[in-house]
Amino acid sequence: MKKSSIILMVIIAVAIAMILVIYTDSSTYSTFTQAKEKNTELYVVGVLNKEKELEYNPVEDANLFTFYMYDNDSTECQVVFNGAKPQDIERSEQIVLTGKMEGDKFHASKILMKCPSKYNQDQVEVIEATTASL
Amino acid sequence: MDVNYVGEHLLPGKIGQFFVILSFGASLLSLISYFFATKNPDEKSWKLLGRVGFFINALSVFVIGSTLFYIIYNHYFEYHYAFAHSDDQLPTHYIISSFWEGQEGSFWLWMFWQVIIGFVLVFRAKTWETPVMTFVMLCQTFLASMLIGVEVLGTRIGSSPFILLRDALEAPIFSDPNYLSMIRARGLNPLLQNYWMVIHPPTLFLGFASMIVPFAYAAAGLWTKRYKEWLTPGLPYALFAVMILGAGIIMGSFWAYEALNFGGFWAWDPVENVSIIPWFTLIAAVHVILAYKHSGHGYFTSTLLSLISFVLVIYASYLTRSGILGETSVHSFTSLGMSGQLIYFNLTFLAITIGLLIWRRKDLPSTKKEEDIYSREFWLFIGALVLTVACIQMIATTSIPVYNAIFGTDVAPPIDPISHYNKWQGAFAVVILLLTAAAQFLKYKRTDPKKFWAATLASLIVSILLSIVAIYFMKVYTNVMYILITFTAIFCITANIRILGDAFKGKWRLTGSAVSHIGFGLLVLGALVAAATNEVISLNESGYIGVKNFGKEGDKFTDPGENLFLTEGEPVQMGDYRITYIGDSVAAPNVYYHIKYEKIDEESGKVLENFVLSPFAQNNPEMGGLIGTPATKHYLLHDVYTLITAASADSQAPLSQIQEEKTGFEDYEEPATYQVNIGDTLRYRNGIFVIEGVNKDTKLENIPLSPTDVIVGLRIKVIAGDQKEYFAEPTFLLKDGHAYDFNKNVDEQGLKFRFSNILPEKDKLEIMVYQKPLPEKKWIVFKAIKFPYINFFWIGTVVMTIGFCMAIYRRVKDGKKEANIES
Repeated sequence: MKKSSIILMVIIAVAIAMILVIYTDSSTYSTFTQAKEKNTELYVVGVLNKEKELEYNPVEDANLFTFYMYDNDSTECQVVFNGAKPQDIERSEQIVLTGKMEGDKFHASKILMKCPSKYNQDQVEVIEATTASL
Repeated sequence: MDVNYVGEHLLPGKIGQFFVILSFGASLLSLISYFFATKNPDEKSWKLLGRVGFFINALSVFVIGSTLFYIIYNHYFEYHYAFAHSDDQLPTHYIISSFWEGQEGSFWLWMFWQVIIGFVLVFRAKTWETPVMTFVMLCQTFLASMLIGVEVLGTRIGSSPFILLRDALEAPIFSDPNYLSMIRARGLNPLLQNYWMVIHPPTLFLGFASMIVPFAYAAAGLWTKRYKEWLTPGLPYALFAVMILGAGIIMGSFWAYEALNFGGFWAWDPVENVSIIPWFTLIAAVHVILAYKHSGHGYFTSTLLSLISFVLVIYASYLTRSGILGETSVHSFTSLGMSGQLIYFNLTFLAITIGLLIWRRKDLPSTKKEEDIYSREFWLFIGALVLTVACIQMIATTSIPVYNAIFGTDVAPPIDPISHYNKWQGAFAVVILLLTAAAQFLKYKRTDPKKFWAATLASLIVSILLSIVAIYFMKVYTNVMYILITFTAIFCITANIRILGDAFKGKWRLTGSAVSHIGFGLLVLGALVAAATNEVISLNESGYIGVKNFGKEGDKFTDPGENLFLTEGEPVQMGDYRITYIGDSVAAPNVYYHIKYEKIDEESGKVLENFVLSPFAQNNPEMGGLIGTPATKHYLLHDVYTLITAASADSQAPLSQIQEEKTGFEDYEEPATYQVNIGDTLRYRNGIFVIEGVNKDTKLENIPLSPTDVIVGLRIKVIAGDQKEYFAEPTFLLKDGHAYDFNKNVDEQGLKFRFSNILPEKDKLEIMVYQKPLPEKKWIVFKAIKFPYINFFWIGTVVMTIGFCMAIYRRVKDGKKEANIES
């Protein structure tokens, strides 16, 4: 057999392996209900429940932050995060959690927030409305 | 709406917009002229016209840049670009960074570099000028179209940096002629307010821009049928592009390490991946070009890789600029509505690549002979293939959002991208490093196997011994992959040091290659050790007692947290260090938190070394609160990296509000009333105070006293817990039958005394003591990480860059020699 065809076969084998791994490694965006069923680590997309309290008391435990979130099916669930409170979570429009369900609580290992960043928000900030009447 | 706005400067914008259009027109003219100049080489006027178009384009690009700088520098916030990317508090050196915070500015930067490259080509490329400049100007035309910002047939083409704020946004405030005095510019993202951000984007864009040259040479070679000739002049440019892009990428990684808060230098973020992919393919191209030059094998591969690298650069800018990465990347730009234009840009260059190769497929130089196993070109070729496969893996995963957009699926990227990529790229790195070591001992065409193994085995044995020592000391024996990468990296370094030794003995031609490969080996070794063995040293074990952990080890949900709580002035032991939060200072808009590290000798209790790290944070409510910037202590063999993740509210306030006292009492707790005698000693929260005596001779300013009035002062000595003494003398006054009293404060102790009454029947004096509530101690929550051997990573980069410089020097010289022989 020619060397080039051996190489070609090796490359095709690696490529197939790669596609399989990418397929198995890739995940889906789930809901809390699905997370309860699966009990594996996955993504949950949702919005923060701003009416309930976001608890973070660094004096007691600097690595415990809990809050409530609605997923895309509007199911509410308490989220526990072992880390410092991400600073801009109150302003988030959307939250993507990575983690898994343990009992009734979702233990997040990563919190990714989408914020109405001032860099893509087409709004003009007015310093003080009162000066307009000068 | 016809409003006469006050204070606007409309002239710079008009000049800028004029040159934006002119730059587009001129590059189009130059493109067409160079195209026909290549078709009709005898008609000199086409070439002249092409040059004229290029010079006008160059002039326009300079004017656009200066005008934009003028606008930002003078804080003309009537322009959307200045409004969105700077504010009037921005220090001058960061005005440069705000220049490329936006997409328009970074497109300008790309155009600017392409102009500089264009000048080099116009004056140096000689017979290659017309075909090569055709492709450069095609790219320049596309870039210029990104800045036009004019609506044609209902669709807006490009986005102009000179658009006015009131045209860009709609808000009721713009009906007010005075709106300029009422708006506040958004300012530069605090993360970009870092000196690396001044230098990293220009370097990266110079790298991206210079990748057009190998593309243009390869395409020109196919177009004008000068198949083999393009490799010699094209190679130094390809090496230059690889060098600059590599340096730019690592600078970005250094910026991420020094200024971003994700705690590392490489995160396999899509933005990072797409910049490294074209780098890999062009490195592969450079190696196959060398193989072809020496053996005649691999013409198709070297041309394809040179062409596709630039297509991948455009794909990278599509991914980062179209907003498609929104959900997977933290760093990408948001959409400016130009994704259609970017797709055309991409497809055009892809079509050229495929079209040219198909068109010339029959004429491509090729050889029927098979490569020998013991030849360098064979293994160079394999290395290039491995690099390409590595790229395919990165592209496949990074492009998941693109598949979602095309096929309407909803696939999420891997949960843990870092381990996903590491698993693959680690394996590829092992192969690549082995090849960079072994292939150096092979000769082109045919090597005597005995000589090869003799040379290789010696280096191999030395590297095995060195690796055992290194693996032990760097503590990377926990994982087979780590061991393999460490060994192969050391093998790569050792083998290339040997080649370098030969180079000093006279085989100087391989110096550049040896040096850059040593750099590459060091870089991989540093990256591996720092990434594999970095440890969070701020483990908060105290908060987690056994019960909470359930005895499960390695479970990331119950492991001790990585953030440590520190109260001002209270030292905490953390690993080898005793750390104390010693306070903060404000340098608007940043708050610096000073953390003292002390290494203490366990036996003698002496402080062996101490240093203060001051990570800072910008409290920017609009940007989402506290944005931390780490501080790092660099040692020769490791770094200690510290980042603030939370802080007490009062130290967060960037400009401390001075509280004005209104009645003077609202800051105090409810008073305590005592009836005392002279000589009594009483306690307060932080110490004691003694009623020393009365002072009947006291006087009050501004209040005339009649002989019937009574005025008495009460001398009080306060002895605080730290034995400091303070005196206060509140006064009691009976005037015209009314009682008054005048309080006195001991501000240092937060005390306020009132001499409120004299009770003659009880022979007592009545005092009221007010105490301020204990100020809440300032605290911070922070994270500290130790990165061992990270300096190898940076040193490797520098060494690699030096190696590239040497290689470029050699190839330019070779090129001149060849040109002399030919003529």
